Amino acid sequence: MLEPHSLLWHYLWVAPSILVLVLVCRLWQKSLQRQHALFIAFAVASAVEQLTLYCCDVIPSVTARTWWEVFWVGLLVEGILKFALVGEIFAQAFDAYRSIARLGTRLIRTVGVTLVLAAAIAAGFAPRDSLFGIVSGAHLLQQAIYLIECGLLLFIFVFSAYFSVQLSRSVFGIAVGLAVSGCVHLATWAIIANGGLSDERRVLLDFVNMATYHVCVLVWFYYLLVPAKVAAKSAVSVPEHTLEVWNQELERLLQQ
Amino acid sequence: MTLAVLLVVIAVLSLAIVLRLAVSRSLQVSAGASPALQIQPLDIEAFRNLTSPAEDEFLRRRLPAAEFRRVRRVRLRATSAYVLVAGRNAAVLVRLGQMALASSDANTSQAAHQLVDQALLLRRNCALALIRIHIALAWPLPNEAAAPVLRGYEQLNGCALLLTRLQNPAAPVRISAS
Repeated sequence: MLEPHSLLWHYLWVAPSILVLVLVCRLWQKSLQRQHALFIAFAVASAVEQLTLYCCDVIPSVTARTWWEVFWVGLLVEGILKFALVGEIFAQAFDAYRSIARLGTRLIRTVGVTLVLAAAIAAGFAPRDSLFGIVSGAHLLQQAIYLIECGLLLFIFVFSAYFSVQLSRSVFGIAVGLAVSGCVHLATWAIIANGGLSDERRVLLDFVNMATYHVCVLVWFYYLLVPAKVAAKSAVSVPEHTLEVWNQELERLLQQ
Repeated sequence: MTLAVLLVVIAVLSLAIVLRLAVSRSLQVSAGASPALQIQPLDIEAFRNLTSPAEDEFLRRRLPAAEFRRVRRVRLRATSAYVLVAGRNAAVLVRLGQMALASSDANTSQAAHQLVDQALLLRRNCALALIRIHIALAWPLPNEAAAPVLRGYEQLNGCALLLTRLQNPAAPVRISAS
């Protein structure tokens, strides 16, 4: 079952892309296309990329070189859209709060530059894992993109957790899906790019990547389409002892 | 292969952190309990005393140098404990403010926004103050690290009181503590 061109292999390659396109249609129907413009662009680009690659893989007349050229183009477009999406997630999460927006922007820029350097160093030290430059280059570019993506998303999660800033449900869902997919893909591409694995083992990692992406698409479905449970909201109540301290302080300020 | 192992470890740790934060957020949302119950009382007078430069100067004049250094370290450690509590309370107030942000009443929403901004500023200042306190523990510097935290906490009091009052006008907001 865990072999190339098995039924599961066909399903895991095609189904997530079809599901992503269905998700985009549902978002459009709900008039959420403006709110999630970059996510929709990213989702459509990645779905078209995967479906094109699938077609190139199953059509016998398409050469291996052509397949890898398509892969490169898709990778570059998807990478650019992914980083734009991460930037939008950050802006939607923190731009509304003046007191930390500037600090956050400075920190994420610093983190971004550090990650680019780390990715370049990691790529520099990686062994050439294939006879063909186009293949090993693609592996290293994947590793670099996922390393930077993982680092940036991790920063967003830690920064928002430290400041107790709640991301909106949809932004949180998109970020979780991207982060889970990014972390798993980083691990697998690092092994593929540096491990010198046999073809059989690489296929297993392909299955892991495809299954993870499928799970992430389902996570996006849940957070973007299923409405949040409405919790009974009560007025903000503050414990008596705290009010007492605050009252004392207010009284002191008034007397100044 | 070493590089691959390193990157895999980084990826696994990142995934664990993201999942932990995601689960804790989901639990927070589904629990529904008021975050206000997590606020810890803070003795403002004692905090003010600890951060007072005059108090520091008084101790410096009265105590022998070695004794003053020992007392100063104890005071710095106490200050850092106060700053930690102030920071945690600020985080709770951020959550309280965010819960009120979507209010249909414009005044409440504005007060909530102000509370969140002040609380975030205080949280940021607490982090900076803790760094400066730990530097001051190792290196003799004037003990002024926590002063912005104290000022921020005082401003936060006003914002929190305003929001509480707007959300629940029937509740008596006592000015004098009796």
